[in-house]
Amino acid sequence: MTVKTLEVIRKRLDERPDELRKARANGQKVVGWTGYNVPEEIIHALGFIPIRIAIGGDDRLVEVGGRYASSKNCVFIREIVGAFAENEDPYIQQTDVLAFDATCLQNFRAAEVIEYYFKRDVVVLGVPRNFYWEEGQEYFVNEANEFTRLLEERAGAKLDTVKLAASVALYNDIRKTLKSIYFFQAAKDNVISWEEVFDLIQAGDLLDKKEYLILLQETLIELQELQPDPVIEADGADGRIFISGSLIPRGDRKLIGIINAVGGRIVGDDLWTGILPHLDLDIKEISPAGVALGYLNRTPHAALPYLDLESDRRLKKLHELIDESKAQGVIYHTLRYCDPFTFKAKETKDVLAKSGIPLLEIHTEYAGSDYEAMRTRVEAFVEMIKIKAESAAEVAV
Amino acid sequence: MAKTALYEYPAELREEFEATEDIHFRDGSRATAADVWHFMTEIGPKRYPFAYTQKKYAGSRLSRDIHLPSAIKNHYLLLTMNDRINKSRENGAPVIFVQGGQSVDPYYAAGGIALRPASVGLWARGRHEGLGLNEEAIRSRNQREKANHAISFEACQTAGYANIQEDDLPVDMVAPFTCLRCSDISYGVEAHRHGPNKAVKLMNIDYPMRHQADKPWAVEYFARNLRRLTSEIGKRAGREVTDDDLTKEIKLHNEGRRLAIDTAELWWSADLPPTNGVDRRALYQMGGMEIHGDPSASLTVLRESNAYIRERVKRGIKAEGVVDKPIRLFVCGSCVFPNDFRIEEAGAIIVGQDNHWSDISTLVAEEGDPYQNLAHAILSYPYEQSIEKRAEWTIEQLKKSRADGVLFLYQWGCNTQSAIARMLCDTIKRDSGIPTMIIEQHEGGSEQSEQLLNRVNAFIEML
Repeated sequence: MTVKTLEVIRKRLDERPDELRKARANGQKVVGWTGYNVPEEIIHALGFIPIRIAIGGDDRLVEVGGRYASSKNCVFIREIVGAFAENEDPYIQQTDVLAFDATCLQNFRAAEVIEYYFKRDVVVLGVPRNFYWEEGQEYFVNEANEFTRLLEERAGAKLDTVKLAASVALYNDIRKTLKSIYFFQAAKDNVISWEEVFDLIQAGDLLDKKEYLILLQETLIELQELQPDPVIEADGADGRIFISGSLIPRGDRKLIGIINAVGGRIVGDDLWTGILPHLDLDIKEISPAGVALGYLNRTPHAALPYLDLESDRRLKKLHELIDESKAQGVIYHTLRYCDPFTFKAKETKDVLAKSGIPLLEIHTEYAGSDYEAMRTRVEAFVEMIKIKAESAAEVAV
Repeated sequence: MAKTALYEYPAELREEFEATEDIHFRDGSRATAADVWHFMTEIGPKRYPFAYTQKKYAGSRLSRDIHLPSAIKNHYLLLTMNDRINKSRENGAPVIFVQGGQSVDPYYAAGGIALRPASVGLWARGRHEGLGLNEEAIRSRNQREKANHAISFEACQTAGYANIQEDDLPVDMVAPFTCLRCSDISYGVEAHRHGPNKAVKLMNIDYPMRHQADKPWAVEYFARNLRRLTSEIGKRAGREVTDDDLTKEIKLHNEGRRLAIDTAELWWSADLPPTNGVDRRALYQMGGMEIHGDPSASLTVLRESNAYIRERVKRGIKAEGVVDKPIRLFVCGSCVFPNDFRIEEAGAIIVGQDNHWSDISTLVAEEGDPYQNLAHAILSYPYEQSIEKRAEWTIEQLKKSRADGVLFLYQWGCNTQSAIARMLCDTIKRDSGIPTMIIEQHEGGSEQSEQLLNRVNAFIEML
């Protein structure tokens, strides 16, 4: 059983680089953004075409990027720098302006390196580490206003509130539809896999937003027809895996492929290239400040330190999503030198253990050299949670 | 195995040394030069034999420039850290973990004691007496291992986690600046939340970035972070912190900063290096008035040293163990530096370092709102600016120090300094023509690996 709209989306992605080329030839500008609190609606409302720069999985580009940054930067950042160095990625080639945020300090450094060596026009949004303080929120509002001003200069136009309201409405609809689609992948007898939804989410980083919403709505209608009454239910032999940790961008499917290959079924994630950034984004006011605060007040990214374990919303959200997806174990993915997640691996494991949820940390990079080591560990983990779930089911009977 | 004999200060030096000045502490007490001599010759070798090692390249060994009183007094202050910090705590001064390369005026203004990682390490080390060099190295490595286990093996800076969480070192607050100097620091602070010591108060003093000193809202934000900081420390010290307290502290610390700048300029102006590299670094760092956990003590030693350096420069006295015309190296990068003893053996000397010097050489305005003044100064640290600005400042220091070459050194796992190493070096080469070399330091203790030193030596040879 296949969801036909997914084929359409794949085709549209193939056509997208050419489309961008033509749009730019007609005077439109493309903003490539990367980060965790970049208010994309502002970019969209100013008439830019927003493209998320999130690529991974290419060890060669990591090596190239390391020559400009360093071998001690996370592989994702190195690959981005490497991609700008080579300038062969069809999306990177089409960017006129870059928008980075300082949620992750390495992301901030990447902006500096790209600006310095590749002479790209970069706008940076400062992000407070004390994001939960009133002072931090005020600082971020000022940064968002400055970010808007810098983009207005590049757009040659002021931000129009009516256009911003339209962009916010469009993005809200996208988020709402994605959330509905996401439910189907975790359901019993699912007609769409988590992997397909993951690709679908990442297609939104690149496609035209209005068209993307239509495609999402068509996907949802199809899913509702194929499975009118989806129920999320744990099956003893499912091997239901939740993926957490460092982002997994387009191009990087190593871990996902291994989980599939050893018989695990991914049913949920809290990745920043997955569903998480689309959840709980509540924009209370149509203004740069309102949009920015909506972003900052979502579930926080791990790069923003939070000093009280008990009230950490990131961990609460992780628990909530694991419960919803009826996952039986967590694979916590950490990229080499990704401090925001690596520093919290043991802590997250200890916290989840209290709820009886097993966690396996997979620390990796984009080279293929650790493939078999990863496979052995993931296979053992999947087997372990399957046996545990089956034993629990037998006891219940 | 027979124990190696420990280093002994020559007895004939005693009279000359005892005629030097007292060390004045913040609580009004003082240590006379005779007290210092007694500790360093009688007590120190028994309690802290590792410092008296005869091993030539041990980074922690005492300076052999015995006619420079500050060298002995500096070691005295480092070796008495445990006694002094415990006493201050008993008298009600909370201890706050900070990071290196930041000024500490607000911490002391609020009645606290600010200790950077090295100082916290010295305090913790002081609690384990009778250890020889190898035993101390093993203890220190074990601590590092504990922190790596509790946080991550990729952690370079763990915010004192092992000492504070695993070994009950009574630090009251962990509240460093979160600047780009160290990317690990804020995650290190966060890691304390899962440790057993729930009494320690955690705070990040949030350092905005990207043209931060030019943004009024960024200065305001940082000033408000500082206000929260002094208020929290004040609560623990049992006092209300006024603006006047901070102004007074800024003036005191400016005195240290000015004295360090003056000392550095004197040192740099000399035809013959007036001290070895270890003592030079100690002198410059005393201007930050934080390494000893007592700004008054650092200041009195620095004042006295300044006069000695002036005299040495005037009389053309060269430090012992340094060649006549050494290759002059300026070190950039993160919180590490090459082994001075090996550098000097190879015919070079380290004349300066951007880390620490960036904050020490940044004076704070004394008129007006002290929080705004301090925030503006701190956000202006050259080390934290855009690459072009940082390079411009570094080149200025290279010219003043008459450096022949630049070593950019960073610690394994240091993300944010390593990331700009090439950019900074390329800009320096482009704008000044001064050769540069980038080196990553793997953990290997103060003696450092042969591989690292071979590369440094090759660079020195090339220069």
